[in-house]
Amino acid sequence: MTTFYRRLPRFDYVQPTSLDEALSLLGRYKADAKPLAGGTDLIPQVKGRDMAAPRVVVDLKAIPGLDAITYDATKGLTLGAMATIANVERSVLVREHYPMLSNALTTMASPQVRNRATVTGNICTAVPSADSAPTLLVLEAVLKLVSQKGERLVPITQFFTGPRQTVLTYDELITEIRIPSPPPKSRGVYLKLSPRKSMDLAVVGVAAFVVRDGETCKDVRIALGAVAPTPIREARAESALLGKKLTDESIEEAASAASSECRPIDDHRAAREYRCDMVYVLTRRALTQIKEEAL
Amino acid sequence: MDYAVIGTRVPRVDAREKVTGTAKYAADYSLPGMLWCKVLRSPVVHAKILNIDTSKAERLPGVKAVITAKDFGGWTWGFMATTRDEPPLAMGKVRYLHEGIAGVAAIDEEVAEAATELIKVDYEELPGVFDPEEAMKPGAPVIHDYRPNNVSVEYHWNYGDVEKAFAESYIVREDRFSTGRVTKGYLEPPASLAYYDPSGSITVWAAKQSPYFHYRHLAACFRLPLSKVRVVQPYIGGGFGGTKNDSVAGDFCAVMASKKTGKPVKFIYSQEEELMTSKRRHAMITYSKMGATKDGLLTAVQAKVIAEGGGYTAIGPLSMYLAGASIAIPYKLANFKYDGYRVFTNNPVCAAMRGHGITHTRFAHDLQMEMIAEELGIDFMEMRLRNAIDNPKPGTVYRTVNDVTLNTCGMKEALTAIKEDPIWAEREHAPKRVGSTSFGVGISGTAYVGGARQLGHQSCAAVIRLCEDGTANLLTGATDCGQGSDTVLCMIAAEELGMKLDDVVIKRVDTAYTPCDPGSYGSRVTLLAGQATQIAAAEVRKQLAEAAAKTWNAKPEEIQIRNSVVSLKSNPDKSMTLENLAKIASYSGSGAVIMGKGYSSYGLEPLDFKTGAGNGGTSYSFTAQATRLGVDLETGHTTVTDFLLAHDCGRPLNPIGAEGQNEGGAVQGLGQAIYEEFIIDQGHTRNSTFLDYKMPRSTDIPDIRIIDIITDDPNGPYGAKEASEGSHVSAPPSVMSAIHDATGIWFKEQPVTPEKIVKALKEAGKWGK
Amino acid sequence: MKEIRITVNGKPYELSVRPWATLLEVIREDLGLTGTKEGCGVGECGACTVIMNGKSVNACLVLAPEADGKEITTIEGLAQGEKLDPIQQAFYEIGGLQCGFCTPGMIMSTKALLAETPEPTDHEIRKGLEGNFCRCTGYTKIFESVREASRKSRR
Repeated sequence: MTTFYRRLPRFDYVQPTSLDEALSLLGRYKADAKPLAGGTDLIPQVKGRDMAAPRVVVDLKAIPGLDAITYDATKGLTLGAMATIANVERSVLVREHYPMLSNALTTMASPQVRNRATVTGNICTAVPSADSAPTLLVLEAVLKLVSQKGERLVPITQFFTGPRQTVLTYDELITEIRIPSPPPKSRGVYLKLSPRKSMDLAVVGVAAFVVRDGETCKDVRIALGAVAPTPIREARAESALLGKKLTDESIEEAASAASSECRPIDDHRAAREYRCDMVYVLTRRALTQIKEEAL
Repeated sequence: MDYAVIGTRVPRVDAREKVTGTAKYAADYSLPGMLWCKVLRSPVVHAKILNIDTSKAERLPGVKAVITAKDFGGWTWGFMATTRDEPPLAMGKVRYLHEGIAGVAAIDEEVAEAATELIKVDYEELPGVFDPEEAMKPGAPVIHDYRPNNVSVEYHWNYGDVEKAFAESYIVREDRFSTGRVTKGYLEPPASLAYYDPSGSITVWAAKQSPYFHYRHLAACFRLPLSKVRVVQPYIGGGFGGTKNDSVAGDFCAVMASKKTGKPVKFIYSQEEELMTSKRRHAMITYSKMGATKDGLLTAVQAKVIAEGGGYTAIGPLSMYLAGASIAIPYKLANFKYDGYRVFTNNPVCAAMRGHGITHTRFAHDLQMEMIAEELGIDFMEMRLRNAIDNPKPGTVYRTVNDVTLNTCGMKEALTAIKEDPIWAEREHAPKRVGSTSFGVGISGTAYVGGARQLGHQSCAAVIRLCEDGTANLLTGATDCGQGSDTVLCMIAAEELGMKLDDVVIKRVDTAYTPCDPGSYGSRVTLLAGQATQIAAAEVRKQLAEAAAKTWNAKPEEIQIRNSVVSLKSNPDKSMTLENLAKIASYSGSGAVIMGKGYSSYGLEPLDFKTGAGNGGTSYSFTAQATRLGVDLETGHTTVTDFLLAHDCGRPLNPIGAEGQNEGGAVQGLGQAIYEEFIIDQGHTRNSTFLDYKMPRSTDIPDIRIIDIITDDPNGPYGAKEASEGSHVSAPPSVMSAIHDATGIWFKEQPVTPEKIVKALKEAGKWGK
Repeated sequence: MKEIRITVNGKPYELSVRPWATLLEVIREDLGLTGTKEGCGVGECGACTVIMNGKSVNACLVLAPEADGKEITTIEGLAQGEKLDPIQQAFYEIGGLQCGFCTPGMIMSTKALLAETPEPTDHEIRKGLEGNFCRCTGYTKIFESVREASRKSRR
């Protein structure tokens, strides 16, 4: 870069008032359009010319109902694409049924950013350190992707394809994040490690979710952020615990598996070795916390 | 002492404007018809500039001027006559990444930004050098032809007999310490609005903490008499040394563009531009050899300091002086040798920052002293108390081996205050371990110079104009860039005049009207502008007393003025308002004009950078600090819970201000100790945003307590010395000492990040244990 | 250009804005309300914090057209004539400011915090201000100012 921009490049702004209108705009402009939710990632990216200037920004916030947060014991939680992080974080429904999600969102950014940014936006941005991603991975969220051609449901485990890359096509939008009801006797924890306690990127994020049958783990889900090109589920660590009791030994084994499987990059934010070590520490802590929480 | 205003807790004089958003900063100014300026920067770190083609940019509609180095006719600037090596824009050669290449002025900022993209520059890249020790080696790429060995500043001082002292020492240690690449981190990026008017005068509204530096730069660059350069000072969004002392590429380009177009020209840097390009603290490596007796008394110190200088010299000669000159304070030391090297690299330019120069060597030596104490089995507090310089008896001075003279020294008293506080006294009773967190308490004892001087112009000045209604205007060239000096200076004027504080009014510096001033650096304003204000006020008071004496047929000595009421000491019935007296005094005869002027005289003593002898300022502050923290032995994360500072600032004149300065200084020191550092790879800064340059946030800082140690220094108004740079210097060694207490490991490199802690714990076989 | 209607500090405005302009640019440049500061322009520093429809936001991250129909409060909208808002009064008295550049944003974040949490704990104060940098004060007197503002607001 040779110029440090203070101004955004020129683009047009449209604010469709229906989903159809939004989809038709995306269908028409394709790569030249950028959907706008909270803008807390898009605006800095475009301003810094890290992202090519779109021809048109399609603001989705005037589409009725897209910010809804609903819960149903059988269907689970549905987060509309425009539900802000602050609203999801504070939702009584979310706090009651998905405390780990609420806790994960509290670790993100600042009040100002949480008031604007959306959970869906955090997912679409698809940075490896996205704080909501590990939690949504272990909660086995399903994303509803809609375009003019129709809709498809994509499990979040299949959504990310690389740093800032997803299966979302230019003419598609995520309209909902669906999160199944947690099974009975399940517990989840998200732990984030960052240099500062606030407004910081995860050097490592670990989400762990365990469903127990008696004392046995009948379902184990472990997801990691910031240690691979995308947020990932950690299958070896999960299988290390499956069918076992949560003990110091089994937890140790799962944590070691997670640490040896992860493939983080070495960059100015942290060295690969440190990230791997922290995957071990955080996985162990998360599982230990689950073990110690009374069911 | 019985003061009416001094020592009281008063709000800042600018607080109302600042809490209502009406205080104007440089970026808030605009003028009709104003153009916007943008700087094009180099994408390469070290290169010859073969050609700059601006024709396309010039043809872009809305572009009014394009500036390149040739517009400045080869003019360069720098701290000393022998080091004027920095051009306004890169001249023939680029020496660091994003050095300014060209400036564009256009009808708005968008057009200016777009136009920079149209300038074509041909570079011939040169091999770069990025490590100062590499740059000193023969055969390294040469950055400036006038310094073929890349050493931009070099000092060799030798006091006492170091060799003999080491030979006679019971213990000698040698260690390598280093400080990181850190920056000021103010929120207000550089900005200015410049107008070169048809009469041939320059006016700028510029974000400068030392506006008279800029005034001199502009006069020299544009070959104008100083009387034709006017720097009007807006409020300043933080200074901390470096960039806002000096001028930046945008400053020169905006004035040149204004000269070319006849229009006012404004620029504002982006924060990333600031973090990437502007002057920051030197990173220094200190190879230190320290000796002591069996009882822990220091015998000798030998320090070889290698500083990374970046692409130009800037204020480096002073930085290297300060790093060496502080070696013999605050601990008694009869022998020291200092070899200082400031070395050019192809990294951004290093200059002054709060704690200037001194923070590096004090960090090294305070820590090394603890390491020696550990080897000798001496308590760390006891080690410091044994070595600390005693407070000289009133009327006497303590003189170090290099002729640094102390009139007061609160080091022992400050250490004792920490020693007696529960944070230290009861540290053994506090929990040592909770889960994976190991707690530790550490201390430091450091010194800092106040009333700092450079070579050349040193004095501050003040003028007080009495208004006929009994209020007063205070004029000074000394700048409040946030530290609170305007408030303190008004307090001093009010104290001396017997006036209500609200009746003394100070405005921002305007070089066309306010007396010339060296600048706001080195904790000098309260001391030197304070003395000047005191003298100016005394002159006004004298004239008032004479007028009152005449009215009452009394002697001037019998007049007292307090809280804007004038009375006769011997007869309290005789009294009148100050307003009344002001009228009498102002209207007497043909109408007297009551004014007082003063300039400072403290600290005008011999100073020699070549030998390191003498005082770099008027007085010295002393700080003892205790830090309590927890280190997570698994993640390496440090959580600092408590700072206790016992600080000898002579006497706090505005306690709110002094506390705030000490708290802010200490937290900035915390940032340097464990959070902040530029990661620069082959000249490319990898973390040039506030997301990645990790300054402490509200959730990261400890509870802070301050204990004032009152020493009443004779070389400061009402006994005042400096505050904030001392607390900035005390924080890192105290934090390191606490981390050592928590982990058993000595960390000698700043910052001590979680990653470094985990690495060290692993090497020691202690990770997670 | 886009036509927008916004209410700023109780005053309605009809403006024609560039679609790529930010709310911060509109507030500072079109309305001349320069109390709201730009520190970083990318949502990291909080100096541009304003309250939009009751919520604190970084004005640098809001596009001007997004603000259409919204009610916005800036630092200039807090005092009532000569009378400072209790938060401003607390910062003024306690000394929760030095250079003053972060102050408008800090005060607006405090406003949002106290509106939701009138008696914040120390942790809530720190968390409420986590998006606002201050480099001068070391935050200590800012926390005290927020506590004092909370006391004043409840009186």
